[in-house]
Amino acid sequence: MREKIIMPRLIYRTAAALCFGSLAGCSSFLDSPGAKADPNLPTGATTDQLFVGAQADIFAQQEGPLAMIACQWMQQCSGVNGRFVEQQDSYSVNAGTFDLPFQEVYSAGGLLALRTVQASAAAAGDKVYQGIAQVLEALLIGTTASIWGNIPYSEAVGSNPTPAFDDQMAVYASLQTLLDEAITNIQGAGPGPGAVDLFYAGNKTQWVQAAHTLKARFYMHTAEVLGAPAYTAARSAALLGISSPANDFRTTHATATSERNMWPQFQNTSFGPDLVAGKRLVDLMKAQNDPRLPEYFALAENGQYGGFDVTTGTTPGDQISALHGTRNSDTFRQPVLTWEENQLILAETNFQLAGPAAAQPFLDAVRTARGKAVVPATLQNIMEEKYIALFQNIEVWNDWKRTCLPTLTPALGKVRIPGRLYYGQTEEQTNPNTPPSSAQNLFTVRNPNDPNPC
Amino acid sequence: MNGLRKFVVAALVLTSLPALAQAQQPTTITGRVTAESGQPLSGATVFLEGTSVGSTTDENGRYSFQVPGARVSGQSARLTARRIGYTANSASVTLTPGEIQQNFQLGANPLQLGEVVVTGAGTSTEVQKLGTVRNTVSSELIVKANEPNIVQALAGKAPNVNVSQSSGDPGAGSSIRIRGMRTLNGSVEPLFIVDGVPIDNSSISTTNFNVVDVGGTNLPGQDNGGQLEGTSTPNRASDINPNDIENVEILKGAAAAAIYGARAGNGVVLITTKHGHSGPTQYRAASTWTIDKVTKFYPLQTKWGQGRFGVSPLPCEGFKATCLRSWGPEVTGPVYDHASEAFHTGGTSDNVLTMSGGNDRTTFLLSTGYNHANGVIVGPNNYYNRATARLSATHRLVDRLVVGGNFSYTDARGHLTQRGNNVNGLLLGLFRTPPNFNNQPYLVNGMHRTYNLQNPVLTNFSEDRVFNNPFYTIYEELNSTQVGRIIGSINSEYTANDWLKFNYTLGSDYGADERLEGCPQQCTDVAAGGRITEGKVVTHNIDHNLTATARHTFSDNFASSLTLGHNLSYRAFRTFSVVGRTLIAPKPFNILNTLTRDPPSDYQTEVRGQSFFGQSTFDLFNQLFLTAALRRDGSSTFDTNHRYANFPKASAAWTFTNVVNPANVLTFGKLRIGYGEAGQEPQPYLTSNTFSGSTLTGQIAQGTGFTPTQSGLGGLYFNVTKPATELRPERTKELEGGFDIGFFKNAADLSATWYNSRTVDVILVTPVSPSTGYQFEAKNAGIIDNKGTEFSLNLRPITRANYSWEISAGYGRNKSNVVDIAGAEFLLTDNNLISSVAQVGYPLGILRGNGWVRCGVSPNDVIPGIDLASVCAGQPHGATFIDDGNNCSPQPGMPCADDNIRVLADPNPKWTGNLRSNLRFGKITVSGLLDIKKGGSIINGTRGALYSYGTHKDTENRALCTGPNNVDCTGNLQAFGTANFYPGPVVGPGAGMQIPIGENWYRTSGLAACPFTGYDEPCVEDGSYVKFRELSLAYTFEGPFINRLFGFSSLDMRVAGRNLKTWAKYKGLDPEVGGVGGNINRVNGYDYFNLPLTRSFVISFGFNR
Repeated sequence: MREKIIMPRLIYRTAAALCFGSLAGCSSFLDSPGAKADPNLPTGATTDQLFVGAQADIFAQQEGPLAMIACQWMQQCSGVNGRFVEQQDSYSVNAGTFDLPFQEVYSAGGLLALRTVQASAAAAGDKVYQGIAQVLEALLIGTTASIWGNIPYSEAVGSNPTPAFDDQMAVYASLQTLLDEAITNIQGAGPGPGAVDLFYAGNKTQWVQAAHTLKARFYMHTAEVLGAPAYTAARSAALLGISSPANDFRTTHATATSERNMWPQFQNTSFGPDLVAGKRLVDLMKAQNDPRLPEYFALAENGQYGGFDVTTGTTPGDQISALHGTRNSDTFRQPVLTWEENQLILAETNFQLAGPAAAQPFLDAVRTARGKAVVPATLQNIMEEKYIALFQNIEVWNDWKRTCLPTLTPALGKVRIPGRLYYGQTEEQTNPNTPPSSAQNLFTVRNPNDPNPC
Repeated sequence: MNGLRKFVVAALVLTSLPALAQAQQPTTITGRVTAESGQPLSGATVFLEGTSVGSTTDENGRYSFQVPGARVSGQSARLTARRIGYTANSASVTLTPGEIQQNFQLGANPLQLGEVVVTGAGTSTEVQKLGTVRNTVSSELIVKANEPNIVQALAGKAPNVNVSQSSGDPGAGSSIRIRGMRTLNGSVEPLFIVDGVPIDNSSISTTNFNVVDVGGTNLPGQDNGGQLEGTSTPNRASDINPNDIENVEILKGAAAAAIYGARAGNGVVLITTKHGHSGPTQYRAASTWTIDKVTKFYPLQTKWGQGRFGVSPLPCEGFKATCLRSWGPEVTGPVYDHASEAFHTGGTSDNVLTMSGGNDRTTFLLSTGYNHANGVIVGPNNYYNRATARLSATHRLVDRLVVGGNFSYTDARGHLTQRGNNVNGLLLGLFRTPPNFNNQPYLVNGMHRTYNLQNPVLTNFSEDRVFNNPFYTIYEELNSTQVGRIIGSINSEYTANDWLKFNYTLGSDYGADERLEGCPQQCTDVAAGGRITEGKVVTHNIDHNLTATARHTFSDNFASSLTLGHNLSYRAFRTFSVVGRTLIAPKPFNILNTLTRDPPSDYQTEVRGQSFFGQSTFDLFNQLFLTAALRRDGSSTFDTNHRYANFPKASAAWTFTNVVNPANVLTFGKLRIGYGEAGQEPQPYLTSNTFSGSTLTGQIAQGTGFTPTQSGLGGLYFNVTKPATELRPERTKELEGGFDIGFFKNAADLSATWYNSRTVDVILVTPVSPSTGYQFEAKNAGIIDNKGTEFSLNLRPITRANYSWEISAGYGRNKSNVVDIAGAEFLLTDNNLISSVAQVGYPLGILRGNGWVRCGVSPNDVIPGIDLASVCAGQPHGATFIDDGNNCSPQPGMPCADDNIRVLADPNPKWTGNLRSNLRFGKITVSGLLDIKKGGSIINGTRGALYSYGTHKDTENRALCTGPNNVDCTGNLQAFGTANFYPGPVVGPGAGMQIPIGENWYRTSGLAACPFTGYDEPCVEDGSYVKFRELSLAYTFEGPFINRLFGFSSLDMRVAGRNLKTWAKYKGLDPEVGGVGGNINRVNGYDYFNLPLTRSFVISFGFNR
């Protein structure tokens, strides 16, 4: 039908154009609605729409390539079959590999969207909505800082075309302030996002707890440099953190193609079967007879659980488990911030500040909840428990960088496991403030919060 | 409308009076037209000056037509005979009732001096007055090419007009590049104009509809992740029946093309279709039959079976890494020829029927055509049919007003085969199948059997098959395209008086293409459970063009003309598509028969343009011809503050032989110089501020990602492209100069052209600092230079009545250089196997990737502990570093990897050329065409992958390896740098070391199987070729016996060959299989399991009456 209407209109316009004396009247020809503005995409977005998109961006960050590489480098997962997944296993990545994850921190549903949500919520007087968006900003930026170290933040998504890179420790400091403000806001007035909140459906208590656990996590990120004050601050925050597994901060997914959990999404591509279990984690869980084995992995062809050993590169195929445990479900809600992490932060901080006895109850609580026998609260036991509990979580990498636990042997032929990633070639190309490549070496350069290599 | 009506009435009143003459008996004028050599000239038009009364000559050069009695009053009139390539001749006749006999002898005019050629947008000029190089392709050359696709028929026809086809698949598209590439924004294809109306020549892959699996996008002309797969894609100019084409004029540089302003940056192809002539109705029925064969089968090894490290892996019942490849034991049982088993001899038939004729006031041409191409892939799903019908008519309403119209309809439909980087495609599974596995039968009890799932039973049949069985792809998949296309125009020409003429054309081009890709339930991988992609592409262009031309001859030494014009254009493009997954029932391939559906994709663009233009010519002393023109283009794609842009051109042609005429050597000489500016419009909507609902792709691989909509809640992302605040058209400024000379009494002519162009304001969708919240921003910031040389030489050593010999050669060289890309290190232009980029100081499209450690190429400290410079001291640039196993290579005697991305190769040809010879002996004509391309690298990814799979012929000679290291292998000792193994200079501690080469090198080293396992450089190959494009032998039977026998006046017969032979160093199937599909890519030169090309043997019969 559309075309039939246009033809006479064009003829009419054509006729109009024939009147040479009135050519000015033809100028509107260029400005028809379909030619002037993009008819394919909305030219405006509501707060709720941007907020849902921003949550999808958080899902992508927490389940996407960053989580995959952390899983591989922490030897919880491994890559086989000679394609890019296997190359990543031995740290073969370049500036292009993580271009998109870095870009998506800021653009699309990233910081730009969260800031817009905050501004419009504030303008509407909805403190709750504003506070929740602030928590997500803290999670987004803190995760980014934990991987890349110094990052653009204070000048990001503003008018400066080349934002400055802030010191990582300063970023953490401002995130603590942001989270404090967020906690106050969430407890303030306003309807909040309600049903469009895919984490907690607008439950303010849960958001406040998650914000405290996040604060504790970020204090822990500074502990390698700051020591006791960081542990103290983390412990105080964790005491107000997630109080039960029911309050865990998890992503939400549906069965639609691009709404599925990213792990099974990837497992269903042709590269998916290339990502398999890592030997270090499987062996640890087997040694502890951990009940989560069938949750994480499928039995290998030989009927056992087993993982690929990246340190030798020779594990036979029939001894390798696929990542096809019960977690491998399209709608699996990926844990991001959990009661277990919170408890184990309490265990670690108490261990560091007051010794094993103070740590013991928290470690016991986590193990008992999983039906595992109690073990002495050594730092190794605490960190190994956390290593198991936080499977597929980027935080495993941060814990290891800080504590070097569990002990890991680098991949075959490599002397060190990287402690960071390249910024991504786009930022490098476009922002002269990006540290030079010499300051980005994965093996020799440490992030400011992680001066000591393992 | 009122104005138009008045205009028509006035025209009638002014011009109809003289026609009211007294009725009388008609006059019949007959005669014969011959060349000076005595050769009869067919196809010459003979007409009465000032009227449309006339006719064309038949095969014997005879013509005959009748002047109606109403126009016969004993007056004298000028009768003129014209034919392309000959000087027109006139005679004065007195029109009296009865019969008049008038023969003509025409002098050869190979330079076509005096001929009028269209120069675009309603302008025309005489050949000798052109200030720019002219390239024309006649209908005769198009017919001889035997190509169903008009674009492919232009291959080897003009210097620096480079054509390449994407595959030999029926309907496969061809791309065309004129004088290199000048833009990074949208298409690099020229603008196609048919009878004055711009038409669509886009290529859209059905794969574009599948955003989830392949990261498709619907943007026309935009590269994306899916282009290495899908089916071969037609380019839409192939909807034109080549038999309908009278000639093609190619406007190459901006100096010629500027009359099309902001749409002419890539050049313009002006197609003029055939028209009827008054005289007896002529009929032509022609039938062409073609046998098509694969030009080359892939070299595969047939000695070693499935397995790894010499061990057979059986049973293979579902994905198992040891089953994938052919590194097993030597085959003892039967071997199967996977290189050829999926191919057979294809065939094409082409039937056309044309009727044309007319009388003193009306002419018509009605043509129908049916082209049926059966591809070279076995099975019923490899064909492309095109039916065309065309009517062209003119009617002289009154002496001064001619109205006419062209109307053509095309119905094209095909079944095509999945190709490329695609586990459900044909060649991935075919070429990777171990030689000891029989791909037949491909079904066992209805279950899909592959070499990775050899005995499917109910308990395992849902296991991963890794790749489709090629015959499953061939017989069970369905990929179809169905096109309806209408191109029509009406036009009128009003001659107000002897110096003023108006011309008006209103044209429309509407096309709808329905696509279906059906992967059945047992398809492999992402389509497991079956997948259906259904979509529609609709294009609609409307164009209005009005010109007024005034001519005045002030004196013998000064004549001038002025053309003013106005143009409106409307261009709409729309796609709508849905992908459905998991078929409920095995058939039908209908979107409703699926369990789940991806979000549908809906994309449309509308571009509107308004232009005013003027062109003025000055003819001075009948030897100096000046042309100046200005086009003022407005477009909806420009930003609102810069709605219009001006594109000037000026040229001068000086016929110096009118002043200095050196003896008999030079018969004609012309110097010409021209300058012009032409542009490229921005892609639509770059200035719009939008939010996106689509998936952010690439989050891990193969389209994984999240939509902003989640769990039933509608969400939006900020568009990653920042809306542009200022956007102007790109502007190519081009200066060209050259000469055209005819010498030895026109027995030879030479045309030479030099050009120098600079494209400024190139629109770069540049990455912006991601931390600003956006990823891209479009801005006018780039500068690209193109410089080149073109020569055409035609020799006519023998011209006799009974025999003649002509030989011609063309040479074109273009060198591009990226001057500025707004400070970026490089910008991606295509990214398929490896990156093709714009990088300052290099030709546009240069290929970047990683490679081996080489002297003078790799950084000095690339290998820890080695000072490369000192190792390389005195060694040639590019020498390969060979390690002894102690520094970088895991293996002694092997090269080392350099992870640094570097410029690897230039995919643009250094020069292209062609050589044509035409020999006529009586009624036999033999002609041949060689098409030559020098340089232009190709990324041969197929070879790299097949190295890894151990099925490539090169791997047949192999060491036996029981493990991944040299020490695990025995036999096939080779040293790098020797004549038969990676020849070239080598350095380093391992240089000259003989090592066993087998699975340890091809599969596990990661250095050979480019770019499959990482290092791109070994894939780069020279894409030079010499192709024996065309050979044809034609004979015309005529005379009374033909008439008695068949009732025809003549019967022409032709046997011909196409792509008969290719000489190339390229190790893949064909160096021309460089395109990725249609004309989608800017850069040709990617070969990843692309389908083979074909050679054809043709026989053709034409009956004329």
